[in-house]
Amino acid sequence: MTDTPQTPDEPAAPEKDHGVLYIGMDLGTSRTSVSASNGVRETVHSMVGYPKDVVSRKLLKRDVLFGTEALEKRLSLKMYKPLEKGVLKYTGDAEMDAEAKANLKAAQDLISEAIRLSKPRQDELIYCVIGCPAEASMKNREAILEAARASVDSVMLCSEPFAVAYGLEWLEDVLVIDIGAGTTDLCRMHGTMPEDTDQLTFDVAGDAIDAALDAEIEKQCPGAQRTIQMVKEMKERFGFIGDASERAMVTLPVNGKPTEFDLTDAMQNACKILVDPIVGGIHELVSSFDPEFQDKLKNRVLLAGGGSLLKGLDSAIEKAMKERLGGGKVIRIEEPIYGGSNGALKIAHDMPADYWEQLK
Amino acid sequence: MAGFKESLKDAVRQMAFRTSVDSLKKKGVQNVNVLGMDRIVALVETAVHKSLKSKLVGMEREAVADATKAEFVRLMRSNEDLQREKSAIEKQKERAEEEVDQLRRDLSTQEQELQLRLEEGAAEVAAQYEGENAVIAQKVAEVMRSLGSTPMANAEGKVIELVMDIVTGERKATEEARAALRDREVDNLQRRIKKLNDSLALTENRLQQVSAMKNIDEGISSIYREVQGIGQGDAHAGKKKELMSEIFKANLKLQKG
Repeated sequence: MTDTPQTPDEPAAPEKDHGVLYIGMDLGTSRTSVSASNGVRETVHSMVGYPKDVVSRKLLKRDVLFGTEALEKRLSLKMYKPLEKGVLKYTGDAEMDAEAKANLKAAQDLISEAIRLSKPRQDELIYCVIGCPAEASMKNREAILEAARASVDSVMLCSEPFAVAYGLEWLEDVLVIDIGAGTTDLCRMHGTMPEDTDQLTFDVAGDAIDAALDAEIEKQCPGAQRTIQMVKEMKERFGFIGDASERAMVTLPVNGKPTEFDLTDAMQNACKILVDPIVGGIHELVSSFDPEFQDKLKNRVLLAGGGSLLKGLDSAIEKAMKERLGGGKVIRIEEPIYGGSNGALKIAHDMPADYWEQLK
Repeated sequence: MAGFKESLKDAVRQMAFRTSVDSLKKKGVQNVNVLGMDRIVALVETAVHKSLKSKLVGMEREAVADATKAEFVRLMRSNEDLQREKSAIEKQKERAEEEVDQLRRDLSTQEQELQLRLEEGAAEVAAQYEGENAVIAQKVAEVMRSLGSTPMANAEGKVIELVMDIVTGERKATEEARAALRDREVDNLQRRIKKLNDSLALTENRLQQVSAMKNIDEGISSIYREVQGIGQGDAHAGKKKELMSEIFKANLKLQKG
């Protein structure tokens, strides 16, 4: 916990004699998920809102709102999405501008909220592992650690795709593809900690699909009014690659009049932008792997993250792998939203006591 | 044993959290495995008995069983204490809220009463003076008429002037007495309003404290009492230890330089 001195009025910190709560956290651009050893699993949209003025603060009766609630009340709030392309919108420069400082504060508040959502008891030790992108800068990692330390007793960071594989106990010859909102991360596991050469990251992910879908709508549905949040919701509802199982019919206002559009083709065009870069990444990681184990690696490709929920993505990747790599097997993990946090929780559980102690 | 089962069921219920099918769907969960309460209780019982049977004999088993029961009862009591505390705090908060409402109502009534009194006072004085003036003028006119018209033509004006001097003196004295009385009343009302304001501020402060206390959720207990680590029976124990060590080293470097 923090070392801030107690004022005489503050109650003494409770004895941490009740037990140990492990928390695994997946800090994502779009969603932040937590899994805890008390059975709690929660996810919150990575959005933070602060009341714009005194009037809205009085109306909302809160100093800060998160996730869907913040989104619903966004007209009265100054909104922040503190993570972009998988990392904090925070440069780490000494002379940060006001916007960067505000984003840093929003990130810290979001981490505290995620820990609060895991319903920790005051009399339990809290040990937390946070999955963060491999390319997060040192200052970025320090900011995450600083935010988490305010609410937990000891905290560690680990690579997100590694956490997914560890959670499923697939420690050798497996290739994890974690599709988030900001980035898609690929990581091959070979029984040791992945190194830089084992990991690839590119920014064709959920947000890029939203932008592509928005451009398709602009082209195919003249005059259709929408926000990027509405486009995102349409993608989550209808997103697919391959054969459409249903027509993507949506109603959008045109000059204030609700008008129905068929977005099936637009959806297909936007979603398939994911396939090429992913298969390119798989190709790169497989071809640079020990030749004896390349076949095994190709047949153990794990799809995780919110982006993996797109219908038909696994089949589309397998099809493209067949053309470029002669075949392969793609497995979508059971709970893509919690894959990272469940893995981080397992790492927290397996970490020896003295390691936690040394990082207090 | 039936009591133990019920306690176990209560504990499972308290540790569980509610969610809806829609919310699960939003989180990407398509299928769920359902496990009934009785089945959970039976599984726990079987696991405990099997474990005791295989690892312990005779006295040891009884001692461990007693210790486990005692620990379970301790946990249940600790939970009951927390529940009691929570309910007491909630009651305190309700009382404080009622008090604040009552004080606000009293304060508003007092302020309205004061305003009314001040307005009534001003209106009464104006009406009273008008009435008195008319009565005096009428009486003087009657006296003058009875005197006839001969010796003193200016008598009426002089008499009125005389009478008005006297009356003004009387009025001043009466007004002073009345003002003193009104000031006492206003003072009283103002004191009561100040007292109510102080009391309201105090109660609001207390309410804020109680609300803050109530917001400290006691949380949900972890299933672990101690730090775990990799199990001895884990098939990948060696490999996992290496991985844990590497993660730790990277974090040590990051956090402690």
